[in-house]
Amino acid sequence: MSLIIVLAQASSQGSQNGAALAFSYIFYIFFIALLALSFFPGVQQKTQIMFLSRDVEQKLQMIENYLKDSKSITEKLLKEKGFPDPKAFLDRVIDRFVIDPVSIEPTDIINRMKLLMRSNEDTVREMIMSANPNLDPMTRSQIEISAEVVNALNLIFKVIRHYLIMAKKLNSIMIMYQLQMVAPIYVKYAEAYSKAQKVFLQGIPIGDGLGPLVASKFLMKSSQKFTVSKDTIAGTLEFEGRKLVVVKAEGPMATVGTPGEGVQNVIEREGGKVSRIITVDAALKLEGEETGTIAEGMGVAMGDPGPEKIAIERVAVKYGIPIDAVIVKMSMEEAITEMRKEVYQAADKVIDYVKRIILERTKPGSTVVLVGVGNTAGIAQ
Amino acid sequence: MAISADSKQVLKVKTVVKCMQCDYTQERDFQVGDFVLKLVGNCPKDNGPLYIAGIYAETLNQKK
Repeated sequence: MSLIIVLAQASSQGSQNGAALAFSYIFYIFFIALLALSFFPGVQQKTQIMFLSRDVEQKLQMIENYLKDSKSITEKLLKEKGFPDPKAFLDRVIDRFVIDPVSIEPTDIINRMKLLMRSNEDTVREMIMSANPNLDPMTRSQIEISAEVVNALNLIFKVIRHYLIMAKKLNSIMIMYQLQMVAPIYVKYAEAYSKAQKVFLQGIPIGDGLGPLVASKFLMKSSQKFTVSKDTIAGTLEFEGRKLVVVKAEGPMATVGTPGEGVQNVIEREGGKVSRIITVDAALKLEGEETGTIAEGMGVAMGDPGPEKIAIERVAVKYGIPIDAVIVKMSMEEAITEMRKEVYQAADKVIDYVKRIILERTKPGSTVVLVGVGNTAGIAQ
Repeated sequence: MAISADSKQVLKVKTVVKCMQCDYTQERDFQVGDFVLKLVGNCPKDNGPLYIAGIYAETLNQKK
């Protein structure tokens, strides 16, 4: 208390004004009260939680806006395409989920995973076609992608909201700190998904279409094209005395196809007499790396959860076929939005890489399988 | 892994049209309905078939 008096006296010496004196008193009292209050246990934490939650709420609002935007675009699309009740359809797909197969007994987990994923895709496709049986494959794939985007945005929104409410309820500063750290990343994901939907609806090739673009440049020289598995096409051509079998998803619909099963069928069809498998795919770059840079290595270049990738690995092991991988680097946003010029230009360089691999590592008379992995939206064959 | 582009990019989508027989190349703005390998008419140089060789997005400007 004596401190306040001393400070007040000092202050009064400088100013003779009564109002200014009163203000000084109030200021010092407020300052000291605040200082004292901060020493009470829990007050500091509550203040921090308040500021952190405000930041997270702001990010959550941004994610919600992307979700609302995506829902309204999808509803508009469904209405245009003659769906009797677009809202009811959206309500059915927005919370749709696939339960992971049991992993504590890993035997046959890939087949179980493949069954669940394929069944889910087929079920959504049937739901769309039953609402309007006259849809063309292009429109159907656009509706499938829109439903996936809405589903993904809804999941991001709900999970962030869940942890925000939980952190507030438990008054947990640690949960709030973690949430505040990851929320900006999820805002970026949500933004990328939202942009991707608009790109898919226009039929513009995306960055992930690099693999199918490379494959299509080979396939345009092929006179023999045939379906090898669901939504997947292959073609044969001759290159420097070698038989080249090129596999890609069937475009220009927005699909990734089933390249694993496709390659497996092609190799079985060739009786296992294949000397090389070459996979081409888009890959996520690290921060600091340039978009469109190319790297090569061994293994299946494929961002698949498992079933497709393992199908190639298994058939390669069965017949002892080496697998080469050529990747083109880009960011997550660049992979799911418009194909950037750097990526488009990299496609021709990848073709040179592939040709060099074939010439260096195979002999004339042998058979090589080339797989262009990725979403083939806007890329035919 | 990198999540997004470093800056707010303004993109312009271009369609590259090429002739199957000669070196004729033309670049134009993307139109809805374009897709890679779509046949889009005949070449003004040798009347060969024209096809869409690529569709890509170009950055117009970058706002930091």
